Formats: sequence, structure tokens, C-alpha cells
Amino acid sequence: MKEVAAVFQKEWRAEVRSRHGLFTAGLFSVLAVVAMSFAGYGLRPSGSLAAGMLCVTLLFSAILALPRTFLIEDEQGTFDLLRLIGEPGPVFVGKTLYNIVQMLVTGALLGTVFLALSGVEVRSGPLLVAGLGLQCVALAAAVSLCGALVIGASNRWVLAGAVAMPLLLPQVFLGVGALRVALGEGMSAGGWQSVAGLAGFAVAALASGPLIASAVWREE
Amino acid sequence: MLAVRDLGRKFGPRWVLRHIEFSLEPGEVLVVRGRNGAGKSTLLRLLAGLLSPSEGTVALPPGPLRTAVGYAALDLALYPGLTAREHLQFSATMRQIEDSGDVLLGQVGLANAADRPVGQFSSGMRARLKLALALQASPPVLLLDEPTASLDEEGRAIVDTLVDRQRDRGVVVLATNDPHDCRQATGVLQLE
Repeated sequence: MKEVAAVFQKEWRAEVRSRHGLFTAGLFSVLAVVAMSFAGYGLRPSGSLAAGMLCVTLLFSAILALPRTFLIEDEQGTFDLLRLIGEPGPVFVGKTLYNIVQMLVTGALLGTVFLALSGVEVRSGPLLVAGLGLQCVALAAAVSLCGALVIGASNRWVLAGAVAMPLLLPQVFLGVGALRVALGEGMSAGGWQSVAGLAGFAVAALASGPLIASAVWREE
Repeated sequence: MLAVRDLGRKFGPRWVLRHIEFSLEPGEVLVVRGRNGAGKSTLLRLLAGLLSPSEGTVALPPGPLRTAVGYAALDLALYPGLTAREHLQFSATMRQIEDSGDVLLGQVGLANAADRPVGQFSSGMRARLKLALALQASPPVLLLDEPTASLDEEGRAIVDTLVDRQRDRGVVVLATNDPHDCRQATGVLQLE
């Protein structure tokens, strides 16, 4: 547990001093939402369209900011140091927890700005919070898993894109499924079913991550 | 304490190292020499567990690798945003040992720079911090790759002292072509 906290603290210190991840994700999110609102000025998007816009913006924010948590270790050459002093499991969990916090902050900022600018009516607040929150968690877990899988590979950025596709697409669909109901379209049961799917996805990614990291990181 | 049997490593179809054999007992210092590209750094990375062998075995003292082996190399990077003290504290927590890092920072001459971000360090100061990190868990096996390459006279003297101390608790493997580093050698492995 102490090791997980140490990794989380290291990531937090690096973020506070560089302000790279949150700044990148936050700036992108706000810019994207402002641009969409400008393009659709005077129009109120349907629940499905609004949910799609929100989920896609969230997805791109995650892809922009989160892989850095893992791949930066390889880029700056510190992955060796990490392997020398730590065990893969706690490193994965610490970094993923940090990614989750970063994604939740980004999601809260994005959701607030989006709702304020788009004029979309919220039908179910709890479903919106649960859907948006769990999509942030699932995205952070999936992108972390992706980073853990490709770290150390010579063509890691290309590989990251290829690995991310099957991991991210299902949860984007689930996210849209939950948020479209929260924003006024479809049946409530379907929305909560999508939330359950997102939770299952997040749990699976979080549970398998340490095992995958242990298997992959010891070999080079 | 450290036994290497028929060790080999290839990258793609090309063998970088083959048929390496040696064993070291406590107090021994092995100097690994050879031209650039002979495989000195690869050998140390194999011993540190950062590379897996293509053939052969490395037998290390029992216990987790992170406390059994200390490794410092020129190409080992540090976190530019963390201070020297934060590096040692992070490393101690990850290795599950109690150490504030103050003693080690004093030993390598970084006590006055303990709270400066490593991004502001010179290459020699970074080399000293890597040495401190390698020695932190008092490992029985110490692996040093070109340890004095970026150090001044004072830094070289520190390495000499620390290598000498290490002989009391274990073994040292030094990859170098610098005659200065060979003075404490009890054996030499020449790589072709």
C-alpha cells in the first residue's frame, strides 16, 4: 500500500511541477466544447448527439494526457530505474489511480462547461454523474492498461494506438448509452445497464492490469 | 555470491555476448573491460535483471532483486522534477526499507543539493545520486557502469571509498576502460 501511495505521490509531484497532463486535457476539453457550442449556436443538440460529443471529447482528452503517465517513463529513460526499485503491480496501481483522479477532474470540468454552453437539459442527474464518472474511471484504467502493455516496445506509440482501439471503443459506446439517457433520450433501465457495463469494464481493466504489468515488465 | 554460467544475449540474430562465465565471492571486485560495443553494458544489464539472457544463467544472492542488486549506469535516467532527497525517499519506499537518504546524500557529497530538482543537476551530480540510489539498500551485489566517467577528482575519490566499503559486505562488478577504476580490481574480464 505504501508503494502505491509513493507512486501516486511521485506522479502528483511531477504534475504539480510541470502542469502538463491536467493542463493539456483541461485546455483541450474546454476548447473542444467552446468550438462545438460556437458551431451549433442557437441550436439545442439532441440527447444522443450531446452524449456522443461529450464522450468523444472525453476520449480525446484521455488519449492526449494519460499515456504520458506510463510512456513518459520510457521516453525519459526512467523506466529502468522504476524496474530496479519497484514491483510492477504497485507501480501499475499507483499510476492508474493517479490517472483516474486526473480524468475525474477533467471529466468534471468538461461536463460543467459542456452543460453550461450547450443548453442541454439533464433528465437524470444521478445517471449523468454515474455515467460520466464511471466513464472517466474506465477510460483511465483502459489507457493505463494500454500504456503498461506497450511500454518498452520500440514502436510503442504506434502500438499504443493499435492496442487502444479494441479497449476504448466498447466503453465509448457504453458511455454514450448512459449519457444519452441522462440527457433525455431512451429508457432509464438501458442507461443504468450501460453504467453497469462501464463499471464492469473498469473493474476488469483494474484487476488485470497488475498481472499484465508483472508479465510484461520483467522481459526486454 | 554471484555466479554466471554460460551467459549469452543476442539482439535479433546478432550475439552481443556469449559463453560468459565467472563467479565472485564477497570482497571481490571484477572489472569488465572491452572496446565500445563489446557488451560491457549489456552484461551489467543482464546481471541487474534489466535484460533477460538468451542463454545461460545468473545466480544472485537470495532475496528480492531490488535489494540484492545495486545498479548505477551513465544511461540510467532520473526524474528531472524530483529532488535528490525525493528520489531516495521514493526509492526507499518502493524497496520497502527505512531510509531518509540523508546519510547517503552526505556520503556522495550532495547534502547541500538535497532539495534541488535533479533537472538542475550537472552530469557529475547525477552520477553521484545514481551511486547513492545503487547503494541505498546495502546490496550484496553492486554493479557500476562507467561510474567515474563524468566525475571530478573528488567524485572519483568518493567512488573509490564506496567501492572499498562495498567489499566488506559483497561484490562489485565495474564496467570501465578507465585505468583509475581498475586499481581496486581483484579480477579482470576482457570482452572481445
